[in-house]
Amino acid sequence: MNSRSGWRFTLPGLAWLLLWGGVPLLIVVAYSLMERSIYGGVERGFTLDAYAQLLDPLYLGIIARTLLLSLIATLGCLLIGFPMAYVIARSGRWRRWLLLLVVLPFWTSFLVRTYAMIFLLRDTGLINSTLMSLGIIDAPLDLLYTPGAVLAGLIYGFLPFAILPIYASLEKLDPTLLEAAEMLGARPATRFWRVTLPLAMPGVVAGGLLVLIPALGSFLTPDLLGGAKTTLLGNLIQNQFTTGRDWPFGAAASVLLLVGTFIALVWHLKRSDAEGESA
Amino acid sequence: MASPPLVRFHSVSKRFGSHTAVDALSLEIGRGEFFSLLGPSGCGKTTTLRLLAGLEVPDAGEILIDGKPVQGLPPWERPLSMVFQSYALFPHMSVAENVAFGLEQRKRPKGEIADRVQKALVQVRLAPETFAARAPAQLSGGQRQRVALARALVVEPTILLLDEPLGALDLQLRKEMQLELRALNRELGITFVYVTHDQEEALTLSDRIAVMDQAKVAQVGTPAEIYEGPRTEFVARFVGEVNILEVKGKKVAIRPEWMDLFRPGEVPSGESSLEGTVQSVVYLGETLHVHVAIDGGETLKVALRNEGQLTNPITWKRGDRAAVAWRPDDIQELAP
Repeated sequence: MNSRSGWRFTLPGLAWLLLWGGVPLLIVVAYSLMERSIYGGVERGFTLDAYAQLLDPLYLGIIARTLLLSLIATLGCLLIGFPMAYVIARSGRWRRWLLLLVVLPFWTSFLVRTYAMIFLLRDTGLINSTLMSLGIIDAPLDLLYTPGAVLAGLIYGFLPFAILPIYASLEKLDPTLLEAAEMLGARPATRFWRVTLPLAMPGVVAGGLLVLIPALGSFLTPDLLGGAKTTLLGNLIQNQFTTGRDWPFGAAASVLLLVGTFIALVWHLKRSDAEGESA
Repeated sequence: MASPPLVRFHSVSKRFGSHTAVDALSLEIGRGEFFSLLGPSGCGKTTTLRLLAGLEVPDAGEILIDGKPVQGLPPWERPLSMVFQSYALFPHMSVAENVAFGLEQRKRPKGEIADRVQKALVQVRLAPETFAARAPAQLSGGQRQRVALARALVVEPTILLLDEPLGALDLQLRKEMQLELRALNRELGITFVYVTHDQEEALTLSDRIAVMDQAKVAQVGTPAEIYEGPRTEFVARFVGEVNILEVKGKKVAIRPEWMDLFRPGEVPSGESSLEGTVQSVVYLGETLHVHVAIDGGETLKVALRNEGQLTNPITWKRGDRAAVAWRPDDIQELAP
């Protein structure tokens, strides 16, 4: 099969994506430019009010908080995920079982797992009751409904997305390169910084984006673990379409999120293009 | 080897699980020697090299470099560098960065590094202005091989370890690199320890060869000693073509080119012979191999010089009766 006739086989997929991805996207963009209707929904007209509203300090704060928490969660996933991926890539015949353990959480619903974290973190939860029964603390710590809880939830939920691409790039790393570096005088730390990490970088970047993008749009985790105090962009959007009944504003926030994500992806593609050329 | 040996293996063993890779191996390598470890895959030659490099730790025995035990010394504290079979060039670094790596680890000043990288590239015949900035992926196999060599030589090792460095190259390039390696060994006075499974390569390049078989050294000697005086059937068969015969109850080896073929009854006096029937004549270019089925026994190979099959063809053909003859001096007695 040559590549000219091959494209025909992508038609079903393309149609599917256009119908369920492209059309709703256009609707969201259109809504963001329309007038708000009092009972939810939108009315005809063209206005940039929804976008102007995003500049309100209240919402700028939410955007900044979303960015900050997402970036910290991404960094956390990479810092925890890299050593795990490293160990898995070097675990020989255990490798497949360890990979299975990494994806095991996906076998249950994300919602259920997030609820499980509530049971761990709440005042009468496992962590507080254990610490109290050991006499380490007298009163329960405020764990639940804090930015820390949201962060823990995000890192927990997205960690596999960081581990898998890093693992993939470490697994491809030829161990002879490390031996060559060793023969040339590189100590373990130097071998890591000058050989392992640069060669694992594509996996680190891909893993980072795979965490950052869903973290930016997350609403379930901040909703359940953050309470009202830690509203993120995802919650804001959800609220506008439900109780807030401001669809244009919700749509505008969605578009903002989309553009942000898009910029991150374009940066990534440009970067890997440049790498492909030099390699 | 007049001077004391530069490298000494004293009864060195290495096991991987239940598999013994190197078994009580003892060896001496002289200063400046081109020393080859020759053997089939799995004979322990690469493990022996890696033990010397410090990439593997022996389970028993002692390795000395320059008279000093190197037990517990990491690779970088041994005066050696290595060229890997796969070249192991760092794919994310340019040619110049690859070559500079070892000097950077040795904390040499920047100017000196640039100078020495330049010189090392010239030494392996890569024009720095063309190749220094290239990535390994932009090089041919032969060029990568040269970069790997430059990277190993630039740190001025006392011993250069080479693990089947020419295995991935085509024949023409391999011959060319063989000559260059030999020349580098002579010019630089660096001791080369060369792992190969290619007997012809070992014979061409080496001052001395250790033929390895099943984790042990089967025989050490100069190429002539190995080829002309193999002590075991394994060595005789692994290096070159050979006929193994039983003469007066003893197993002996004789090379096909040291035998001759006569009509029955025409064997010169003083030569031993066996009679049989010609089975096939194989054209090999430089020589022709005549396979003769000895009556009631094995098949012997006799190599006859090719004096031109178009102008002066040999007369032997399948079915001819023939006597395979040899001078008694030319047979080599083998260990039972």
